[in-house]
Amino acid sequence: MAYLTFKERTTIPTYDNPEHGTSGRVVIDHERCNGCGNCALICPGDCLYVAGVGKHKKCYMIDKAFPDCMSCNDCQAICDRDAIRVSVTYDFGYFYKILHRGELAYPRNF
Amino acid sequence: MTETLDVETEVPEKASQEGEMYTWHEGMEWNPVERIILERRSVRKYKDKQVPEKLVRRILEAGRFAPSAGNSQPWKFIVVRDREMIEDMEKYVRLRCKVLKFMLNWQTSPLGKFAWLYSQMGARLMPNLMHPIPFGATALIADGKLKLFHGAPTVILILMDTRGAAKPPVDVGICGQNMILAAHSLGLGTCWVGFVEVFKFGTKWNKKLGVQWPYRLVEGIALGYPVAKPDGMIERELQEVDWWEDGRKRTVF
Ligand SMILES: Cc1cc2nc3c(=O)[nH]c(=O)nc-3n(C[C@H](O)[C@H](O)[C@H](O)COP(=O)(O)O)c2cc1C
Ligand code: SF4
Ligand code: SF4
Repeated sequence: MAYLTFKERTTIPTYDNPEHGTSGRVVIDHERCNGCGNCALICPGDCLYVAGVGKHKKCYMIDKAFPDCMSCNDCQAICDRDAIRVSVTYDFGYFYKILHRGELAYPRNF
Repeated sequence: MTETLDVETEVPEKASQEGEMYTWHEGMEWNPVERIILERRSVRKYKDKQVPEKLVRRILEAGRFAPSAGNSQPWKFIVVRDREMIEDMEKYVRLRCKVLKFMLNWQTSPLGKFAWLYSQMGARLMPNLMHPIPFGATALIADGKLKLFHGAPTVILILMDTRGAAKPPVDVGICGQNMILAAHSLGLGTCWVGFVEVFKFGTKWNKKLGVQWPYRLVEGIALGYPVAKPDGMIERELQEVDWWEDGRKRTVF
Protein backbone atom coordinates (compact mmCIF):
# COMPACT_ATOMS: atom_id res chain seq x y z
CA MET A 1 0.00 0.00 0.00
CA ALA A 2 1.16 3.48 -0.81
CA TYR A 3 2.55 5.92 1.73
CA LEU A 4 2.14 9.70 1.49
CA THR A 5 3.03 11.84 -1.51
CA PHE A 6 5.02 15.01 -0.93
CA LYS A 7 1.86 17.08 -1.31
CA GLU A 8 0.02 14.95 1.24
CA ARG A 9 2.88 15.15 3.71
CA THR A 10 2.98 18.90 3.56
CA THR A 11 -0.76 19.64 3.55
CA ILE A 12 -2.73 19.83 6.78
CA PRO A 13 -6.29 18.87 5.81
CA THR A 14 -9.17 21.17 6.62
CA TYR A 15 -11.01 19.05 9.15
CA ASP A 16 -14.46 19.92 7.86
CA ASN A 17 -13.81 19.77 4.13
CA PRO A 18 -15.49 16.76 2.52
CA GLU A 19 -12.99 16.95 -0.32
CA HIS A 20 -10.13 16.25 2.08
CA GLY A 21 -11.58 13.41 4.05
CA THR A 22 -14.38 12.05 6.11
CA SER A 23 -15.34 11.59 9.74
CA GLY A 24 -16.75 8.39 11.16
CA ARG A 25 -20.32 7.31 10.38
CA VAL A 26 -22.70 4.84 11.94
CA VAL A 27 -25.75 3.03 10.59
CA ILE A 28 -28.71 2.44 12.86
CA ASP A 29 -31.21 -0.33 12.30
CA HIS A 30 -34.53 1.23 13.34
CA GLU A 31 -36.24 -2.16 13.29
CA ARG A 32 -34.06 -3.18 16.22
CA CYS A 33 -33.43 0.11 18.03
CA ASN A 34 -35.83 0.77 20.92
CA GLY A 35 -34.52 4.24 21.68
CA CYS A 36 -33.03 3.28 25.05
CA GLY A 37 -30.45 6.04 24.56
CA ASN A 38 -27.46 4.23 26.01
CA CYS A 39 -25.38 4.84 22.90
CA ALA A 40 -26.18 8.55 22.93
CA LEU A 41 -25.27 8.68 26.62
CA ILE A 42 -21.73 7.39 26.11
CA CYS A 43 -20.83 8.62 22.60
CA PRO A 44 -17.57 10.54 23.01
CA GLY A 45 -18.32 12.62 19.92
CA ASP A 46 -21.83 13.67 20.97
CA CYS A 47 -22.98 12.34 17.59
CA LEU A 48 -26.12 10.46 18.61
CA TYR A 49 -29.54 11.50 19.89
CA VAL A 50 -32.89 9.90 20.55
CA ALA A 51 -36.13 11.30 19.16
CA GLY A 52 -39.77 10.25 18.92
CA VAL A 53 -42.19 8.80 21.46
CA GLY A 54 -43.29 5.31 22.42
CA LYS A 55 -42.74 2.76 19.68
CA HIS A 56 -41.28 5.45 17.47
CA LYS A 57 -38.54 6.42 19.90
CA LYS A 58 -35.34 5.80 17.93
CA CYS A 59 -31.73 6.80 17.87
CA TYR A 60 -30.28 9.00 15.11
CA MET A 61 -26.90 10.35 14.11
CA ILE A 62 -26.71 14.14 14.16
CA ASP A 63 -27.13 15.71 10.75
CA LYS A 64 -23.70 17.23 10.14
CA ALA A 65 -21.23 16.87 7.30
CA PHE A 66 -18.54 16.22 9.91
CA PRO A 67 -19.92 14.74 13.12
CA ASP A 68 -17.17 14.22 15.74
CA CYS A 69 -17.40 10.44 15.27
CA MET A 70 -14.06 8.69 15.79
CA SER A 71 -15.46 5.32 14.66
CA CYS A 72 -14.73 3.82 18.08
CA ASN A 73 -17.79 1.54 17.95
CA ASP A 74 -18.37 2.08 21.68
CA CYS A 75 -22.01 2.58 20.65
CA GLN A 76 -22.02 -0.89 19.10
CA ALA A 77 -20.57 -2.33 22.31
CA ILE A 78 -23.19 -0.80 24.61
CA CYS A 79 -26.19 -1.54 22.37
CA ASP A 80 -27.75 -4.78 23.57
CA ARG A 81 -30.06 -4.91 20.54
CA ASP A 82 -27.32 -5.02 17.92
CA ALA A 83 -28.90 -1.97 16.29
CA ILE A 84 -25.92 0.31 15.67
CA ARG A 85 -22.49 -0.05 14.15
CA VAL A 86 -19.80 1.98 12.42
CA SER A 87 -20.16 2.00 8.64
CA VAL A 88 -17.42 4.49 7.73
CA THR A 89 -14.18 4.93 9.68
CA TYR A 90 -12.63 8.37 9.88
CA ASP A 91 -9.90 9.51 7.53
CA PHE A 92 -9.15 13.22 7.38
CA GLY A 93 -6.72 12.86 4.51
CA TYR A 94 -3.43 14.50 3.54
CA PHE A 95 -1.04 14.68 6.51
CA TYR A 96 -3.42 12.58 8.60
CA LYS A 97 -4.25 10.06 5.87
CA ILE A 98 -4.93 6.62 7.33
CA LEU A 99 -2.41 3.97 6.30
CA HIS A 100 -2.31 0.20 6.21
CA ARG A 101 -5.82 -0.68 7.37
CA GLY A 102 -8.37 -3.12 6.09
CA GLU A 103 -12.11 -3.43 6.46
CA LEU A 104 -13.99 -3.66 9.75
CA ALA A 105 -14.06 -7.06 11.42
CA TYR A 106 -14.92 -8.57 14.78
CA PRO A 107 -12.13 -10.32 16.71
CA ARG A 108 -11.26 -13.51 14.84
CA ASN A 109 -10.53 -16.57 16.96
CA PHE A 110 -7.91 -18.23 14.80
CA MET B 1 -0.79 -44.79 39.79
CA THR B 2 -0.01 -44.41 36.12
CA GLU B 3 -3.65 -45.03 35.29
CA THR B 4 -4.90 -42.13 37.39
CA LEU B 5 -2.35 -39.85 35.71
CA ASP B 6 -3.58 -40.87 32.28
CA VAL B 7 -7.14 -40.00 33.17
CA GLU B 8 -6.10 -36.62 34.52
CA THR B 9 -4.03 -35.54 31.53
CA GLU B 10 -6.69 -36.42 28.99
CA VAL B 11 -8.52 -33.21 28.12
CA PRO B 12 -12.25 -33.77 27.77
CA GLU B 13 -13.64 -32.74 24.37
CA LYS B 14 -15.99 -30.15 25.88
CA ALA B 15 -13.41 -28.36 28.00
CA SER B 16 -11.20 -27.86 24.97
CA GLN B 17 -14.03 -25.87 23.41
CA GLU B 18 -14.43 -23.55 26.35
CA GLY B 19 -11.26 -21.50 26.04
CA GLU B 20 -9.23 -22.80 28.93
CA MET B 21 -5.94 -21.18 29.84
CA TYR B 22 -2.35 -22.03 28.87
CA THR B 23 -3.18 -23.95 25.73
CA TRP B 24 -4.36 -23.31 22.21
CA HIS B 25 -6.39 -25.27 19.68
CA GLU B 26 -7.35 -23.73 16.38
CA GLY B 27 -10.69 -21.98 16.60
CA MET B 28 -11.07 -22.43 20.34
CA GLU B 29 -13.22 -20.03 22.34
CA TRP B 30 -11.59 -16.94 23.88
CA ASN B 31 -9.91 -17.62 27.18
CA PRO B 32 -10.67 -15.28 30.11
CA VAL B 33 -7.61 -13.07 29.51
CA GLU B 34 -8.39 -12.67 25.81
CA ARG B 35 -11.99 -11.90 26.64
CA ILE B 36 -11.02 -9.05 28.96
CA ILE B 37 -8.66 -7.65 26.34
CA LEU B 38 -11.18 -7.89 23.52
CA GLU B 39 -14.26 -6.79 25.44
CA ARG B 40 -12.70 -3.82 27.23
CA ARG B 41 -14.25 -0.60 26.03
CA SER B 42 -13.65 2.94 27.21
CA VAL B 43 -16.35 3.73 29.74
CA ARG B 44 -17.79 7.25 29.67
CA LYS B 45 -20.69 7.09 32.12
CA TYR B 46 -20.28 6.00 35.73
CA LYS B 47 -22.52 5.33 38.70
CA ASP B 48 -22.10 7.50 41.78
CA LYS B 49 -21.06 4.53 43.89
CA GLN B 50 -17.45 4.81 45.08
CA VAL B 51 -14.99 1.99 44.39
CA PRO B 52 -13.77 0.31 47.62
CA GLU B 53 -10.29 1.44 48.62
CA LYS B 54 -8.94 -2.11 48.70
CA LEU B 55 -10.09 -2.68 45.12
CA VAL B 56 -8.19 0.38 43.94
CA ARG B 57 -5.13 -0.80 45.87
CA ARG B 58 -5.40 -4.16 44.14
CA ILE B 59 -5.54 -2.50 40.72
CA LEU B 60 -2.44 -0.45 41.53
CA GLU B 61 -0.65 -3.75 42.14
CA ALA B 62 -1.22 -4.65 38.47
CA GLY B 63 0.57 -1.41 37.57
CA ARG B 64 3.46 -2.04 39.94
CA PHE B 65 4.30 -5.32 38.17
CA ALA B 66 4.27 -3.95 34.64
CA PRO B 67 7.39 -4.49 32.54
CA SER B 68 9.61 -1.45 31.94
CA ALA B 69 12.83 -0.83 30.06
CA GLY B 70 15.77 -1.60 32.35
CA ASN B 71 13.21 -2.23 35.11
CA SER B 72 13.34 1.51 35.66
CA GLN B 73 9.63 1.69 36.66
CA PRO B 74 9.40 5.30 35.54
CA TRP B 75 5.98 6.01 37.07
CA LYS B 76 4.31 7.50 40.08
CA PHE B 77 0.61 7.24 40.85
CA ILE B 78 -1.71 9.85 42.28
CA VAL B 79 -5.15 8.64 43.31
CA VAL B 80 -7.91 11.24 43.56
CA ARG B 81 -11.22 10.25 45.15
CA ASP B 82 -12.30 13.65 46.34
CA ARG B 83 -15.40 14.56 44.34
CA GLU B 84 -14.91 18.27 44.76
CA MET B 85 -11.33 18.03 43.54
CA ILE B 86 -12.37 15.96 40.51
CA GLU B 87 -15.10 18.52 39.75
CA ASP B 88 -12.52 21.33 40.02
CA MET B 89 -10.26 19.57 37.53
CA GLU B 90 -13.25 19.21 35.18
CA LYS B 91 -13.97 22.92 35.38
CA TYR B 92 -10.34 23.87 34.93
CA VAL B 93 -9.89 21.74 31.84
CA ARG B 94 -13.16 22.97 30.36
CA LEU B 95 -12.05 26.58 30.78
CA ARG B 96 -8.68 25.88 29.17
CA CYS B 97 -10.41 24.09 26.30
CA LYS B 98 -12.57 27.16 25.78
CA VAL B 99 -9.42 29.24 25.42
CA LEU B 100 -7.89 26.70 23.03
CA LYS B 101 -11.09 26.62 21.01
CA PHE B 102 -11.10 30.43 20.82
CA MET B 103 -7.49 30.48 19.65
CA LEU B 104 -7.57 27.63 17.17
CA ASN B 105 -11.04 26.65 16.02
CA TRP B 106 -11.44 28.61 12.81
CA GLN B 107 -14.97 27.28 12.36
CA THR B 108 -16.28 29.10 15.42
CA SER B 109 -13.64 31.54 16.65
CA PRO B 110 -14.22 35.30 16.28
CA LEU B 111 -10.54 35.41 15.36
CA GLY B 112 -11.51 33.90 12.00
CA LYS B 113 -8.54 33.84 9.64
CA PHE B 114 -6.09 34.20 12.55
CA ALA B 115 -7.45 31.08 14.20
CA TRP B 116 -7.00 29.31 10.87
CA LEU B 117 -3.39 30.46 10.76
CA TYR B 118 -2.70 29.46 14.36
CA SER B 119 -4.22 26.03 13.82
CA GLN B 120 -2.21 25.46 10.65
CA MET B 121 0.95 26.45 12.50
CA GLY B 122 -0.07 24.41 15.52
CA ALA B 123 -0.64 21.29 13.46
CA ARG B 124 2.88 21.55 12.11
CA LEU B 125 4.46 22.15 15.51
CA MET B 126 2.31 19.67 17.47
CA PRO B 127 0.83 17.29 14.91
CA ASN B 128 -0.25 14.82 17.59
CA LEU B 129 -2.12 17.27 19.80
CA MET B 130 -3.65 18.96 16.75
CA HIS B 131 -4.80 15.67 15.23
CA PRO B 132 -8.41 16.15 14.11
CA ILE B 133 -9.86 13.93 16.86
CA PRO B 134 -8.37 15.71 19.91
CA PHE B 135 -8.97 18.97 18.05
CA GLY B 136 -12.67 18.13 17.84
CA ALA B 137 -12.72 16.81 21.40
CA THR B 138 -11.29 20.10 22.68
CA ALA B 139 -14.32 21.90 21.26
CA LEU B 140 -16.67 19.26 22.71
CA ILE B 141 -15.14 19.69 26.18
CA ALA B 142 -15.31 23.48 25.83
CA ASP B 143 -19.03 23.18 25.00
CA GLY B 144 -19.66 20.78 27.91
CA LYS B 145 -20.56 17.93 25.53
CA LEU B 146 -17.66 15.70 26.54
CA LYS B 147 -16.44 15.35 30.09
CA LEU B 148 -12.89 15.00 31.32
CA PHE B 149 -13.37 12.10 33.77
CA HIS B 150 -16.92 11.21 32.71
CA GLY B 151 -18.25 11.37 36.27
CA ALA B 152 -15.91 8.65 37.59
CA PRO B 153 -15.62 8.63 41.41
CA THR B 154 -11.94 7.58 41.35
CA VAL B 155 -9.14 8.89 39.16
CA ILE B 156 -5.62 7.51 38.87
CA LEU B 157 -3.10 9.99 37.51
CA ILE B 158 0.11 8.53 36.11
CA LEU B 159 3.22 10.64 36.30
CA MET B 160 6.24 9.71 34.27
CA ASP B 161 9.76 9.91 35.62
CA THR B 162 11.41 11.70 32.68
CA ARG B 163 14.76 10.11 33.62
CA GLY B 164 13.46 6.60 32.95
CA ALA B 165 15.54 4.14 30.94
CA ALA B 166 15.22 4.29 27.16
CA LYS B 167 11.58 5.17 26.36
CA PRO B 168 9.59 5.93 29.53
CA PRO B 169 6.31 6.93 27.78
CA VAL B 170 6.04 3.37 26.46
CA ASP B 171 6.49 2.01 30.00
CA VAL B 172 3.79 4.32 31.33
CA GLY B 173 1.39 3.07 28.67
CA ILE B 174 2.05 -0.55 29.52
CA CYS B 175 1.69 0.14 33.23
CA GLY B 176 -1.63 1.91 32.72
CA GLN B 177 -3.03 -0.82 30.49
CA ASN B 178 -2.10 -3.43 33.10
CA MET B 179 -4.25 -1.59 35.64
CA ILE B 180 -7.05 -1.06 33.14
CA LEU B 181 -7.30 -4.72 32.19
CA ALA B 182 -7.18 -5.74 35.85
CA ALA B 183 -9.96 -3.25 36.61
CA HIS B 184 -12.27 -4.60 33.89
CA SER B 185 -11.63 -8.16 35.02
CA LEU B 186 -12.77 -7.07 38.51
CA GLY B 187 -16.06 -5.65 37.25
CA LEU B 188 -15.09 -2.00 36.91
CA GLY B 189 -15.06 0.34 33.94
CA THR B 190 -12.20 2.62 32.96
CA CYS B 191 -11.27 5.30 30.49
CA TRP B 192 -7.87 6.64 29.58
CA VAL B 193 -7.85 10.41 29.94
CA GLY B 194 -5.12 11.99 27.85
CA PHE B 195 -6.78 15.38 28.26
CA VAL B 196 -5.01 15.86 31.61
CA GLU B 197 -2.35 17.21 29.23
CA VAL B 198 -4.30 20.46 29.40
CA PHE B 199 -3.06 20.94 32.99
CA LYS B 200 0.24 22.02 31.48
CA PHE B 201 -1.38 25.20 30.15
CA GLY B 202 -1.26 26.62 33.66
CA THR B 203 0.40 26.06 37.02
CA LYS B 204 -2.57 25.40 39.32
CA TRP B 205 -2.77 21.64 39.17
CA ASN B 206 0.90 20.84 38.90
CA LYS B 207 1.32 22.92 42.06
CA LYS B 208 -1.63 21.43 43.90
CA LEU B 209 -0.74 17.86 42.95
CA GLY B 210 2.96 18.41 43.56
CA VAL B 211 3.99 17.45 40.05
CA GLN B 212 7.56 18.59 39.61
CA TRP B 213 10.79 17.55 37.96
CA PRO B 214 11.70 14.79 37.30
CA TYR B 215 8.02 13.93 36.99
CA ARG B 216 5.58 14.89 34.28
CA LEU B 217 1.86 14.17 34.34
CA VAL B 218 1.16 12.08 31.23
CA GLU B 219 -2.13 10.23 31.56
CA GLY B 220 -5.18 9.83 33.72
CA ILE B 221 -7.40 6.81 34.22
CA ALA B 222 -11.06 7.21 35.15
CA LEU B 223 -12.26 4.35 37.33
CA GLY B 224 -15.71 3.34 38.50
CA TYR B 225 -18.82 1.22 38.09
CA PRO B 226 -20.22 1.65 34.60
CA VAL B 227 -23.78 2.66 33.76
CA ALA B 228 -25.39 -0.03 31.53
CA LYS B 229 -23.06 -2.61 29.95
CA PRO B 230 -20.44 -0.77 27.91
CA ASP B 231 -17.96 -3.64 27.53
CA GLY B 232 -18.29 -5.94 24.56
CA MET B 233 -16.68 -7.08 21.36
CA ILE B 234 -16.96 -4.77 18.38
CA GLU B 235 -15.78 -4.41 14.81
CA ARG B 236 -12.50 -2.60 14.17
CA GLU B 237 -10.32 -2.15 11.11
CA LEU B 238 -8.04 -5.00 10.16
CA GLN B 239 -4.38 -4.06 10.20
CA GLU B 240 -2.12 -4.68 7.25
CA VAL B 241 0.79 -6.79 8.48
CA ASP B 242 4.05 -7.42 6.64
CA TRP B 243 4.90 -11.08 7.21
CA TRP B 244 8.43 -12.28 6.44
CA GLU B 245 8.93 -16.01 6.16
CA ASP B 246 10.75 -18.44 3.87
CA GLY B 247 12.81 -15.60 2.42
CA ARG B 248 9.89 -13.53 1.13
CA LYS B 249 7.35 -11.00 2.25
CA ARG B 250 3.62 -11.53 2.33
CA THR B 251 0.88 -9.15 3.33
CA VAL B 252 -1.66 -10.46 5.76
CA PHE B 253 -4.65 -8.81 7.42
C1 LIG C 1 -3.51 7.37 25.75
C2 LIG C 1 -4.99 7.49 25.61
C3 LIG C 1 -5.62 8.68 25.95
C4 LIG C 1 -7.00 8.79 25.85
N1 LIG C 1 -7.61 9.96 26.24
C5 LIG C 1 -8.97 10.03 26.25
C6 LIG C 1 -9.61 11.20 26.74
O1 LIG C 1 -8.97 12.17 27.15
N2 LIG C 1 -10.96 11.21 26.76
C7 LIG C 1 -11.70 10.16 26.33
O2 LIG C 1 -12.92 10.23 26.40
N3 LIG C 1 -11.11 9.04 25.84
C8 LIG C 1 -9.77 8.95 25.80
N4 LIG C 1 -9.15 7.79 25.34
C9 LIG C 1 -9.97 6.65 24.92
C10 LIG C 1 -9.97 6.45 23.41
O3 LIG C 1 -10.81 7.37 22.82
C11 LIG C 1 -10.43 5.01 23.12
O4 LIG C 1 -9.48 4.12 23.66
C12 LIG C 1 -10.57 4.71 21.64
O5 LIG C 1 -11.61 5.48 21.09
C13 LIG C 1 -10.89 3.24 21.41
O6 LIG C 1 -12.08 2.85 22.05
P1 LIG C 1 -12.10 1.70 23.16
O7 LIG C 1 -11.14 2.11 24.23
O8 LIG C 1 -13.51 1.64 23.65
O9 LIG C 1 -11.69 0.43 22.48
C14 LIG C 1 -7.78 7.68 25.39
C15 LIG C 1 -7.12 6.50 25.05
C16 LIG C 1 -5.75 6.39 25.17
C17 LIG C 1 -5.10 5.09 24.83
S1 SF4 D 1 -28.19 1.60 22.37
FE1 SF4 D 1 -29.09 0.50 20.64
S2 SF4 D 1 -31.26 0.29 21.13
FE2 SF4 D 1 -30.44 1.86 22.51
S3 SF4 D 1 -30.81 3.81 21.44
FE3 SF4 D 1 -28.75 3.13 20.85
S4 SF4 D 1 -29.04 1.98 18.95
FE4 SF4 D 1 -31.06 2.17 19.92
S1 SF4 E 1 -18.53 5.11 16.79
FE1 SF4 E 1 -18.00 6.14 18.72
S2 SF4 E 1 -17.97 8.31 18.17
FE2 SF4 E 1 -19.02 7.26 16.50
S3 SF4 E 1 -21.20 7.37 17.01
FE3 SF4 E 1 -20.45 5.44 17.90
S4 SF4 E 1 -19.86 5.95 19.99
FE4 SF4 E 1 -20.05 7.89 18.87
